[in-house]
Amino acid sequence: MNLFLYLDRDSPVHRLDPRTKLFLMLGSFAVAVLFFAPTPLLLLLGVLLVYGALGRALGNLRRIWVLLLSIAAVSIVSWSIFAGGSTPLVWRATREGFLYGIGAAVKIVSMIISGLVFLSTTKTEEIVLGLIRLRVPFQAAFAFSLAIRMVPTIIGTAVTVTEAQRSRGLDTESGGPLARLRTYIPLLVPIFLHTLRNTDQLAKALESRGFGARRERTSLLTIGFQARDVVALALGTMTVGVFVAARFAW
Amino acid sequence: MIRLDDVSFRYRVGKEPALREVTCHIRPGELVGLLGRSGSGRSTLAATLNGTIPHLVRGDLTGRVRIDGEDIRAKRPRDLADRIGFVFQDFEAQLFSTDVSLEVAFGPENLGVDRAEIARRVERCLRMVHLSHLGHKAPAALSGGQKQRLALASILALEPRILVLDEPTSDLDPAGRRELLDVIRSLRQAGDLTLLMIDPETDEMGWADRLIVLDGGRIAVDGSPAALWDRADELDALGVKGFTLASLGRRLGLTERWPDAQSAADAIRRGGWQPVAGAAERLGAADVACGDGETLLEVENLIHRYPDGTEALGGVSCAIRRGEFVAILGQNGSGKTTLVKHLNGILTPTTGEIRLAGRSLRGQPATLLSRRVGLVFQNPDHQIFAERVWDEVAFGPRLQGLSEADVRRRVEEALDAVGLADLGDMDPFILTKGSRQRVAVASTLATKPDVIILDEPTTGLDYRELQGMMALIQRLNAAGHTIVIITHAMDIAAAYARRVILMQGGRILRDGPTRDVFADEACIGPTGLTPPPVVQVGNRLGIPALTLDELVSGLTRDVGAQGRGGAEASPGPRASDIGPGTARS
Repeated sequence: MNLFLYLDRDSPVHRLDPRTKLFLMLGSFAVAVLFFAPTPLLLLLGVLLVYGALGRALGNLRRIWVLLLSIAAVSIVSWSIFAGGSTPLVWRATREGFLYGIGAAVKIVSMIISGLVFLSTTKTEEIVLGLIRLRVPFQAAFAFSLAIRMVPTIIGTAVTVTEAQRSRGLDTESGGPLARLRTYIPLLVPIFLHTLRNTDQLAKALESRGFGARRERTSLLTIGFQARDVVALALGTMTVGVFVAARFAW
Repeated sequence: MIRLDDVSFRYRVGKEPALREVTCHIRPGELVGLLGRSGSGRSTLAATLNGTIPHLVRGDLTGRVRIDGEDIRAKRPRDLADRIGFVFQDFEAQLFSTDVSLEVAFGPENLGVDRAEIARRVERCLRMVHLSHLGHKAPAALSGGQKQRLALASILALEPRILVLDEPTSDLDPAGRRELLDVIRSLRQAGDLTLLMIDPETDEMGWADRLIVLDGGRIAVDGSPAALWDRADELDALGVKGFTLASLGRRLGLTERWPDAQSAADAIRRGGWQPVAGAAERLGAADVACGDGETLLEVENLIHRYPDGTEALGGVSCAIRRGEFVAILGQNGSGKTTLVKHLNGILTPTTGEIRLAGRSLRGQPATLLSRRVGLVFQNPDHQIFAERVWDEVAFGPRLQGLSEADVRRRVEEALDAVGLADLGDMDPFILTKGSRQRVAVASTLATKPDVIILDEPTTGLDYRELQGMMALIQRLNAAGHTIVIITHAMDIAAAYARRVILMQGGRILRDGPTRDVFADEACIGPTGLTPPPVVQVGNRLGIPALTLDELVSGLTRDVGAQGRGGAEASPGPRASDIGPGTARS
């Protein structure tokens, strides 16, 4: 089971400098935060889907579509009911609330997809290198990559522990919330202790690889701005600019 | 090169010192094997060599550790990384990158080596460990053996002159083990690397220059493999297994040192020993009358595909009868664990059927199955969560909804069976690995399953703990429990299991009495597994023996004269050459 999002492919987006992709992602976040109405946000989502298709990254959507759909559903339903408004739709839901809910759903989904495209097209090491070039200290940038690295390890441990306890008769799937909470103790204790031990091992292994031995570090990977980065940044800036202008000028 | 003078160390949490006045000198280019039971101080000693002790692991360190004449007390491991490299047992925790080449580059990058040189080192080190073809794969996608070789390459890229390997093969399957050892051998031939290797298998260390056995934090024995060849009793007293072929030689009055089974067989023949007439039939006859009970579990045409489409099992059929002792053998990825996970319902078949006592398991919840088929996972730390051993063992029976009185009886019986009756109040986390493994067995036992499946029950145990664990499993089998073990330890399969299921590529390659399967080396060969040394010698002499006792009983020196060898040892209990005190019929 591969839990990393990165897709080892060759695409125009893969070839961009990680900093470019980082800026594009932040730009899309900014646009998403600026708007509340569904129309411009749907437009943003469209742009992001084109970007993701260019990066051949949309295959990863298959892995999170359940998550995206449930976020959207929860958002639309709850805003429809609780946002208030003057035009009744059905029961307590209002037309204003419904539209606001759609906007909020598209906003979150857009931001997740934007992050997904970034992680699907950029190696963790490239992200670290990009962050270092942006003057983030190596230790901090590396901590970020280590966090990403630990996710699959912890999930793997969790799967094994769950199987082990289920084979002892633990029922993790039925019962009320309180009963369920109680069934988590036999799962959480071994997962936590195992992860702790693993972290200790990781620290020793890092030291023996000379981690932190020198102030100046070299890198086998190279990154650098190319013509394509200039084009991408220009297009990105323009797009963000149009959105911002639309928000404030019209 | 490495010089320790009066080195003592006590862990901050420990009462007793873990090392006591250790003095030794390791010369450049030496290959040293560090042996000893768990807790003897092997890993502690290794950890003092690169500053892990005292910089990452706290405690009182006295004495002097010098590398190339320089006292290293003030140095952290990272300061010594380009002089002394460390490869650990847990290969998962040693890999940080998303790409094989970048993994190897990580160390030199930390040391500020220039880019062109890093590229050269990556290329060279991947070639040394035979991973050049995987340069751009994700480490997570490699096999265990490949991961450990990658970890080795990533240390070699720092170009250390000393390499410490702390149980590098313990978590590997036999193929991964052999590949890693081959690489280490070629490193040794290639140059002036000084190698220090901790390995629980004495038989694997015959090619070392020197073996150091620790006991209670002291150096108990220090000598060449040749000098230790015939000192099995002494090693045994230190909790270390002696050379298997040496024990065989001694039983036959032959003292020369044999590098492999073929030379042993030749020497035994030259020494005038021959198979006793009818030895094969006599040994075979002892195998009858086991596992003739009713069929408990039946697997029919089991196919399992994981969600990503990989076919883990490609049509497996077999049956487990009451009272059997079955070993499932095969490399990692051959489908062993996937198969047993079906037997207690953790996984459900993609197609095919599993029947328990004639009833199909389709649609039955795992909680119902776990009462009939208990599965002890490989690592006890994946399941232990309670603060008292007693509560841990009571977990299963309580989930079954038994009354407290019944739970108490079950727990007491189970703790008694695994020899932990007095430790019910202990915190399981402070027990040794061997005892934690026993707690895991007890907690399965307490649910009174019909079949007990143990996945690698001896991994990470030292020789003594291993003997104790196998004696326990054999005792359970003798008491009527049906046992299925998954193991990479061929000597254990040979000595204990009465039936072997040999798996490869998600299919059963061979399923039959242990003796027949191990006698057929041509069949085992393609799986990359090899029978244990004694069995190999027997096969070369035409005696289908599974243990040392059996082999000796099948040999005679002078045909017609008193039949010396044959009369000396009875076929008797099979388990006796795994160790003393384990023999039970």
